Amino acid sequence: MRLTVFVMHKTRQSLRAAQRRLQSTTTATAPSYTWADPARRHYKFWNRETDVTGQYSYLIEISPESLQREARILALGSDEADAALHQGPLPLGASLLGVGNTVEELQQNVDKTSPNVLFVSPNCPHAANVLPQVLQAFPSIEWVHCRSAGIDFIESEELVQLYTQRLQSSKPLQITNAKGQFSSSLAEYALMACAYFAKNLPLLLEKQQQRSWHKYNVEELRHKTMGIVGYGDIGRAVAKLATVYGMRVVALRRHPFLSRDDPYCNVVYGRDQESLHQLMRESDYIVCSAPSTVETRGMVSAEAFQHMKPNAVFINLGRGPVIDETALQKALQAGRLKGAALDVFVEEPLSTDSPWWDTPHVLISPHNMDQTATFMHEATEFFLRENLPRFLCGEDLLNPVDPVLGY
Amino acid sequence: MSKTKVDHNLFWNREISSKLAYDANAPIVKEAKIISLSDVNDPSNRPLNNPADGLPQGSRLLAVGGSIEEFDIEMLKREGANTIFVSHPLAREPLDRLLQEIPSIEWIHSRSAGMDFVASPTLASFQGKVTNAKGLYSSTLAEYTIMACSYFAKDLPRLLKNKGAKNWEKYNVLELRGSTLGTVGYGDIGRAVARLAVAYGMKVLALRRRPVPDDLCSVVYGNDKESLSRLFAECDYILCAAPLTAETKGMIGKEQFDVAKSGAVFINVGRGPIVDEDALIEALKDGRLKGAGLDVFATEPLSKSSPLWELDNVLLSPHNMDQTATFTYESTSFFVEENLPRFVRDLPLLNPVDVSAGY
Repeated sequence: MRLTVFVMHKTRQSLRAAQRRLQSTTTATAPSYTWADPARRHYKFWNRETDVTGQYSYLIEISPESLQREARILALGSDEADAALHQGPLPLGASLLGVGNTVEELQQNVDKTSPNVLFVSPNCPHAANVLPQVLQAFPSIEWVHCRSAGIDFIESEELVQLYTQRLQSSKPLQITNAKGQFSSSLAEYALMACAYFAKNLPLLLEKQQQRSWHKYNVEELRHKTMGIVGYGDIGRAVAKLATVYGMRVVALRRHPFLSRDDPYCNVVYGRDQESLHQLMRESDYIVCSAPSTVETRGMVSAEAFQHMKPNAVFINLGRGPVIDETALQKALQAGRLKGAALDVFVEEPLSTDSPWWDTPHVLISPHNMDQTATFMHEATEFFLRENLPRFLCGEDLLNPVDPVLGY
Repeated sequence: MSKTKVDHNLFWNREISSKLAYDANAPIVKEAKIISLSDVNDPSNRPLNNPADGLPQGSRLLAVGGSIEEFDIEMLKREGANTIFVSHPLAREPLDRLLQEIPSIEWIHSRSAGMDFVASPTLASFQGKVTNAKGLYSSTLAEYTIMACSYFAKDLPRLLKNKGAKNWEKYNVLELRGSTLGTVGYGDIGRAVARLAVAYGMKVLALRRRPVPDDLCSVVYGNDKESLSRLFAECDYILCAAPLTAETKGMIGKEQFDVAKSGAVFINVGRGPIVDEDALIEALKDGRLKGAGLDVFATEPLSKSSPLWELDNVLLSPHNMDQTATFTYESTSFFVEENLPRFVRDLPLLNPVDVSAGY
């Protein structure tokens, strides 16, 4: 492999790179990183808080010796958060071939060198239609990285077919995402929403408007039960905070055994209906952080809502389609739960005539509770500084997703 | 700077401390003869004033009353009353009279954590033991404090306004993670808040009279003016969780708000008079403070004419953010179940108060 760029490295860096290469050739699997959290059984999932101590750093040194292949990148969809990708500098061995929103635009910009990496931003219009077309137009693409955590916006039958076909070929398609990138902001939001209802802020704010000094009892979160539907990285970040508050945590996920030793959950349920109902019966605060997949759509049904405690609070920060919105609206109108906090909806943005605006006891946010000023920039950085170096050095990629499962 | 003269090992925290940890086999060496300076109609006082199963062995309730007229002082002197349980909001004068008239009083217990409601020269020179309810309300107030920080970080005022206007307007939110919380007063409440703040990934700076290193805080400052200004300059969220004493009165004002970090949020769960309320209002109006979460005020109830009501960057609560349905009941129970049995066995009492310091 001819490298046209000459890179100077300090002797120590080269030595370390050589050591690491030695390690990676002597062990069959990827080098084992020291995870701060022993209950994390999946080394291949990345969390912004626990896996990097507040600063981005190259986990993998890229030197002419450790470089295994080039990365010729196409970017589907882009905005100013991708500046780091467009302006560079990119890691050694990586180059950006072109940017576009459609196959035609990409074909215009790309020269003869065939791309092998596709970086997809959620702002690409009609991404679900365009993505399979791009993959077919550029069959040399072997890795698709999605800048967001949710992959529902690129899911389609065609993608699933392509992916399954490629699985059997010599060049399977890898898809990765930004799981773990947004979890702590959403966890902060979830606990705030719980406290919002526990301290009865709706009443407080009403009295404040009326200049009325009206003392009333507040509730504590301590010793209450929080139920988490969909216990992935976000669910775990929520559980971590809830535990510090002294709450009891009940979690629900497809593979309960994966959280068997998790210190943040008291009980873990599987994803059958009866378990969901049990969780609803036990919980004072329910946080829904599940992705929207074929299996989860409509999962929190009218029937599930009926099992809720009369004083329960329901929070959705996963995806709108996971819940039966009409059923929740009815429950709120009828006062069958204390309140709800929703950051996601089936229809986004909400139109002005959406019934949500007038539904009582609900805190509505415009899918922005993870939208810090830098969150998408950081997601791009994650691609550039964590997964791209791994690809270049032939290491396992972080945050694999399975389009058949949907997450 | 005077040092407190109380044993911090005797501080009790509702969440962390063991219950009934005194040596029940130790012999009872004296009788507790109790005057309950409280509202007899307040159901929270029932564990003392009207206990279903009687008081602990060796304790006797002599009288219950809310004002000095309700007490037969001669009888109390004759009986050798030695304990006063105080919970009445207007207890300052009756307590003074009782202390002056009845020399056998050796112990005063307050149902609240704040001692400012009974502070007086007579009390300050009292030679006996004084204990209070510190550590009983801390975790609830910690929950409120973090919520108040999040209220401004996620810009809830904007969110609520947008709902009213049916406006789907995406905006950036701030994270608590990585921000700095400063606490003025690092007692039980300050520490409970620090515990939560650290879990959120916040950096904690504390300011207290006895600066000792603490595992939850990056820095602990002493109680001097320069440190207080530094706290305001370095912190995104400033919590006042100090008691009201001669030293803390009016300690936070224009000088501190002038140097506050841009975007600072001020939260007060201590006592209103610690802050110069007019200066606070000015700082909120001209943006030196981004917002404030206030549970306590110079005068309570807050007068309807106070500008604080109409500022939309103020989260205003009527001194109820620790008021759970059971908190005062739990506090009376603490006196009956923890300190009374210790008193009659002459064991060290929990939650000692240094009356000369005022807290």
